Amino acid sequence: MPEALKQAFDLSLFWEYRAILLQGLLFNAMVFACAAAVALSVGLGAALLRVNRLLPARWLGTLHVEVFRNAPDYIMLVWVHFVLPLLISKLIGQRVEFHPFLSAVIALCFVYSGYFAETFRAGIQAIPRGNLDAGRAFGMSEATILWRITLPQVVRRMLPEALNQFVSLFKATTIVSLIAVPDLMYNVSMVTQQEMRPLPLYTGAALTYFLIIFVLASGVRAFSERWRRKILA
Amino acid sequence: MGNWERLVWNQRDVLLAGLAVTVEVCFIAFAAAIVGGLMLCLARIYVAPLRPLAVVLIEFFRDTPIYVQLIWVAYAWPELFGFPNSFYTAGWLALALQSSGYLAETFRTGIEGVPRGQREAAFAVGMSPIQTFGRIVMPQVALSTAPSIVNQFTVIVKSSTLISVITVPDLMSQSQRLVNVWYEPIEILTATAALYILFVFLVSLSGKLLADALRRRYGLAAS
Repeated sequence: MPEALKQAFDLSLFWEYRAILLQGLLFNAMVFACAAAVALSVGLGAALLRVNRLLPARWLGTLHVEVFRNAPDYIMLVWVHFVLPLLISKLIGQRVEFHPFLSAVIALCFVYSGYFAETFRAGIQAIPRGNLDAGRAFGMSEATILWRITLPQVVRRMLPEALNQFVSLFKATTIVSLIAVPDLMYNVSMVTQQEMRPLPLYTGAALTYFLIIFVLASGVRAFSERWRRKILA
Repeated sequence: MGNWERLVWNQRDVLLAGLAVTVEVCFIAFAAAIVGGLMLCLARIYVAPLRPLAVVLIEFFRDTPIYVQLIWVAYAWPELFGFPNSFYTAGWLALALQSSGYLAETFRTGIEGVPRGQREAAFAVGMSPIQTFGRIVMPQVALSTAPSIVNQFTVIVKSSTLISVITVPDLMSQSQRLVNVWYEPIEILTATAALYILFVFLVSLSGKLLADALRRRYGLAAS
């Protein structure tokens, strides 16, 4: 057992493959960045639908949020990768296939746009009506009101929550290896198959992810506390 | 509609068998996570020598992606600790570990939310520390954390889709098997996704209703 423990934390094998593993980590970061950017915009769109005056728009927004917030990441990933291209093919009568990277971004964007939409909505609804009325009284257009009055306040209020969701999104990027996006976990599996030594490699992967996410999460926690005390107080 | 009947309705036995495995694994993991979370939390708050270990474990469980943890438990633990000796056990164990980290923090918030004065009052009327914990602190913690605990169950259900990767025959894995047999993913995967979404939706809805009911009945500021 101590022998196994020594092996588990013998990270020399992990170090030997650092180039390919770092490359994988870069893929994690890229999936994360793309999915985060798109999910934020789609989330904002869905939130605006949910606070819309039109009833059908509100329904659509609610449907979006309820479907995607309750969908497991993995089934969304598989669905987007294997079903969505077929549906699009049928629709436009031409064969379409998604690159795994694209599927990963779309799937994660779907799921997390649901979470972001709720965060945005909470922020939007917390803004006093008077602010909007004042904007209208000045003759601002709805778009100007959104851009200059609503969003700055929403962003300030939702920042801590949104940062937490970014951390979750980063964690979720590990599953993209399952549709063969060559991220860190995928490369670790490949190396494991070659070296036949799962113990040090998977332990190394777990520790690497833990360190990265621990640093991110602690940073977010410290930042949120300061932010709540200073900006929101 | 012919496809739906052929690929989904006629395969309902397979899909339902998968769903049964999913539900079973989730409930085992949930029960284990509550026990584990409570133990981690108590060790962190009340047992000073164990505190550093508990903090490290809680952080590790919370901050490692579930997929990585699952693979680690399934492939590295047998060599490291000699168990789990089946993928089924590895599946629920990994789900339980992840959630026990989150639940430990939930319980801690709950325990710290009980006013100090109540504990002092209990000591003043001669209750032992264990009595105080069992009769004064824990009932309030159970009430105030109940909605978050139910929410944690939705996380378990969502993460449970990943145990198909280590060949546990859950709903996800059965539906992927069907896809590999028929080569027609549209209906099967859409139906599977709908089932999962419905399941998670019902669980989170019951969590919301529970929170409302508790707030009405006990005036709790449920989260």
